[in-house]
Amino acid sequence: MSIEVENLTKTFHAPGGDVHALDNINFKVKTGQFVSIIGKSGSGKSTLLAQLGALDNPSAGKIIVDGEDITKLSGHKQTVYRSRKIGFVFQQYNLIPNLTAIQNVMLALEFGGMPAGKRKARALELLAAVGIDEDQARRRPARLSGGQQQRVSIARALANQPAFILADEPTGNLDSDTGQSVFKLLHDLSRTHNTTIIVVTHDLDIAGKTDHTYQLKDGALTSHKR
Amino acid sequence: MNAITRGIQGAIRSPIRAGAIIIMLAISIGLIVAMLAAKAGVENKINSVKQSAATTITVRPAGVMGFGGGGNPLTADQVAKISKTTHVASTVSTLTDQLGTDDTNLTPSLELGSFGRRLQRFESSGSSSSGESAPQLFSSSDGESNANRPAPTPRTTVTGTTDVNSVAQNGGSLTVSSGGAIDGNASDYQALVGKDLASKNNLSVGSTFTAYGQTFTVKGIFTTDNTFQDSGIIVPLATLQNLTSQAGAVTEMAVNADSSDNVGTVVSSIKSALGSDTVDVSSEQQRAEASVSSLSSISNLATTGVVGATIAAAVIVLLTMTMIVRERKREIGVIKAIGGTNVKVIVQFMTEALTLTVVGGIIGIIFGIAVSGSITQGLVDSQTGNNTNTAQRTGSPEGGMRVARGDFAQRFGQFGSSAQRGVEAVTSSVTPSTIGIGIGLTLLIAIVGSALPAWLIARIRPAEVLRTE
Repeated sequence: MSIEVENLTKTFHAPGGDVHALDNINFKVKTGQFVSIIGKSGSGKSTLLAQLGALDNPSAGKIIVDGEDITKLSGHKQTVYRSRKIGFVFQQYNLIPNLTAIQNVMLALEFGGMPAGKRKARALELLAAVGIDEDQARRRPARLSGGQQQRVSIARALANQPAFILADEPTGNLDSDTGQSVFKLLHDLSRTHNTTIIVVTHDLDIAGKTDHTYQLKDGALTSHKR
Repeated sequence: MNAITRGIQGAIRSPIRAGAIIIMLAISIGLIVAMLAAKAGVENKINSVKQSAATTITVRPAGVMGFGGGGNPLTADQVAKISKTTHVASTVSTLTDQLGTDDTNLTPSLELGSFGRRLQRFESSGSSSSGESAPQLFSSSDGESNANRPAPTPRTTVTGTTDVNSVAQNGGSLTVSSGGAIDGNASDYQALVGKDLASKNNLSVGSTFTAYGQTFTVKGIFTTDNTFQDSGIIVPLATLQNLTSQAGAVTEMAVNADSSDNVGTVVSSIKSALGSDTVDVSSEQQRAEASVSSLSSISNLATTGVVGATIAAAVIVLLTMTMIVRERKREIGVIKAIGGTNVKVIVQFMTEALTLTVVGGIIGIIFGIAVSGSITQGLVDSQTGNNTNTAQRTGSPEGGMRVARGDFAQRFGQFGSSAQRGVEAVTSSVTPSTIGIGIGLTLLIAIVGSALPAWLIARIRPAEVLRTE
């Protein structure tokens, strides 16, 4: 399952004039590729991720996923697209604080349409796959370390066997060792599950280990040369 | 775990805040239930008083009140017109008179006292056979000479009536302690004698006495628990009319309408037929309405309280949920980003609001039931206290002049005061419908209070999740 971006533009209207966060972007990611997008703060990385994840609609351009332009989908279909085909991993983990780790994963399974009776076993399986044991699975996020929370977040992203995982600075809040560990987990997933992963980062070390890196500067995307 | 379970769990996410909100809601909802119970109790009392007021209408010649005032008695034609008025089911006619010591051989059982003496101070004829002298109290203070004025004497009241029960104090049947009743429609010389008068004159059933130059036979002794009444005589109406040369004259008519719904119509018809300057027409229903007017204002106050408390509770829920939604904007964005629909998020947050409101509602309903009695009594006390003070300040006739007004007036005066006592004895009424309305309003509060937050939720973009704080 590939993703193809054509002439993608996102313009914000500000009192001081229009801001072109994304300016005529074109790129293609093949199935199972691990791609990184690097750029400085404010370069438009998160805006691009929001368009790819159907969290926001672009001002112009297309995002073709399996031959379908997701920018033309209705609000409800975009929600279904997010729940079935996309897994998100965020810099700040964004786990629901009053739900346990297992409940956070079960939440994504519920939105993905899995029957209630099967959710718990599947959630435990996913958590075990990312290195969270049963005791940790029953804890709320506040009682887990940053690395553990990010692992839970990755388990939640994997819940509905998505075609893509979109990761926004997944190691940004973690120490170096934990960051490496989380990156390795994502890397292994792309290899073992043939999952396409697009990661936004400013960590050049991590970006260097991905299959391909793009650089975003002032809203324009260029292929990064190593 | 589904949206509803998450909503319930979310409601107790912050126990201290949830507790504070629940307490505020409980007070508001408790107030709603207490006000509803007060309103129900007051309305029950209003209906009860109006029901007990039944269908009786009183017609008096204009200006006549018992033995006070002036004017002409109702004539036979007027009585006939009243009796033939549409919706009049029955009538009881009464003529009252007083026997002086020259008119009868009976010794009055009622002490004259300073009040009775004052009422007779303008009379130009009378008897001094009782041996009482004119009161110095009034002769000196009035500055009038009593040299040419006869000494006041106690009188014996004679009631001529078509129905002896009209003299009963409680609106029911007259209690005849010995002997039997007389036929009010007859024209013979049989009489019922009040127990005090009978005792004073050693009268018993079968005894005779003279009045208006005729010999009357005591048919029975009656008792009313009223000293004024128990010192009088009841004779057939026609007998008294004949003996006093007042053929067809009536000083008071008790008219019964065929339905309480038609009382107003009958009152209007009589006034219209006879002229409001000829007769004074009043109904017990009107008196009852006057008696319960204070309760009506309590009912209105309670309605205002219910509306106010409902709005307050809805605002509490609305502000709380708005605050919660704003606080958890990112969380809502996350849920939407991972595939949660607007409907699921709104259901979750509305469940949260509903949980807080229902818990507050349950506590509030229990609290409301517990305090409804005190609140109702407090409202009634404050209202009836105000009215009593007003009546006392204005010298309300309901509070005095009973003796001078005569038997019917006295009876109605008693009705007024008993209605007032009844008004003060209102109890709150917590019925299934009160609780049902309370629950309904609780749900309404939750729904109204969640409407704006739900709209806010729908507007939150899933991209919110990518915002860095």
